[in-house]
Amino acid sequence: MKELVIVSGKGGTGKTTLTASFAALSYDKVMADCDVDAADLHLLLKPNILKTEKFISSQVAVIDQESCLACDICRDVCRFDAISEDYVVNPMDCEGCRLCERMCPIEVIHMEKQENGKWHIADTEFGPMVFAQLGVAEENSGQLVSLVRKEAQKLAKEKNLNYIIIDGPPGVGCPVNSAITGAQLAIIVTEPTMSGIHDLKRILELTKQFRVPALVVVNKFDLNLENTREIKSYCKKQQVELIGEIPFDSSVIEALKAGEIVVRFSGDGKISEIVTDIWKRVFDRLQAI
Amino acid sequence: MKIAVSAAGDLLDDQVDDRFGRCPFFVFVDSETMTSEAVANPGAEAMGGAATRAAQVLAENNADVVLTGSVGPNAERNLKALGVEVVTDVSGTTVKEAVSNFLDKK
Repeated sequence: MKELVIVSGKGGTGKTTLTASFAALSYDKVMADCDVDAADLHLLLKPNILKTEKFISSQVAVIDQESCLACDICRDVCRFDAISEDYVVNPMDCEGCRLCERMCPIEVIHMEKQENGKWHIADTEFGPMVFAQLGVAEENSGQLVSLVRKEAQKLAKEKNLNYIIIDGPPGVGCPVNSAITGAQLAIIVTEPTMSGIHDLKRILELTKQFRVPALVVVNKFDLNLENTREIKSYCKKQQVELIGEIPFDSSVIEALKAGEIVVRFSGDGKISEIVTDIWKRVFDRLQAI
Repeated sequence: MKIAVSAAGDLLDDQVDDRFGRCPFFVFVDSETMTSEAVANPGAEAMGGAATRAAQVLAENNADVVLTGSVGPNAERNLKALGVEVVTDVSGTTVKEAVSNFLDKK
């Protein structure tokens, strides 16, 4: 079984747009949406949910109202102002740091696990998919990414599928580490802006650290040819292959507005051709690993 | 020497887990007596900072070296500070095989 992960460093570079196209162009795979903060792959793949489970992870403090002596120590030490004047913890504000639990002189504060969101197993037109949705004000975590990947692996084994395509989170933080580790190949989608270049460098350091081979795609490359040249020369210096350049095209925006996958949206077919060509090359590399 | 292996289960015959921070268990093998002991990894259930907790477990159990698939930047820094040698690219074998491969190379 091989895992392909699509990441970007910088958010909003077209990672999910490209991932959805890869989903439509490939066979023999499970899709895993690990960009849980803003899970949106399902908007394009339109899954039919087969199974839903709760995701229980973080803890919040709970004060036993009957035994509380109202000494105010917990309210004083809480750095998140999560405890009200009548000693009720607001779970939205509580970060689960456990300081109040530790400081309570009569030990009447305990931690309770809470539901952070749900994860689903679904069928799509393009094969099975695993994705998660977080509750209000919850954030993605390496733990949730690890769970989504594990479930995708189980599903692939069960259905005898050989590949997993992971839509990774942006950035270089904990969830990204969790999405990259152990994958066979990473696609980094970037754009020719200053922050695009900066974040490309950071994500390349991370894939190198985890020894995951990386390929780079420059999206909207023709919007700033000078920056695209800089990306090219950086990739060359780092001996990282730049596997595709996608021009800016309003048909991509039209496709997304219509909730359609770019390679299936008519337009003049130019972008579709370029993306299909990129997928072929990516798949060649993946098979060769 | 005490060898730690990131593992999918708590036995010598369980597979190596190539994730360091979020592997379910660390199996510790004493190279002199060849006795082993497994410790559950609290990093597996942590929302964040998984590798830091995992590194702590290694330190508490006096590991000299850890065999695993790969480590992230924080894990690498922590393990270096704790003086635990890191051997990566270990995967696809049982814990027992990983340890004997490692000792053979020594």
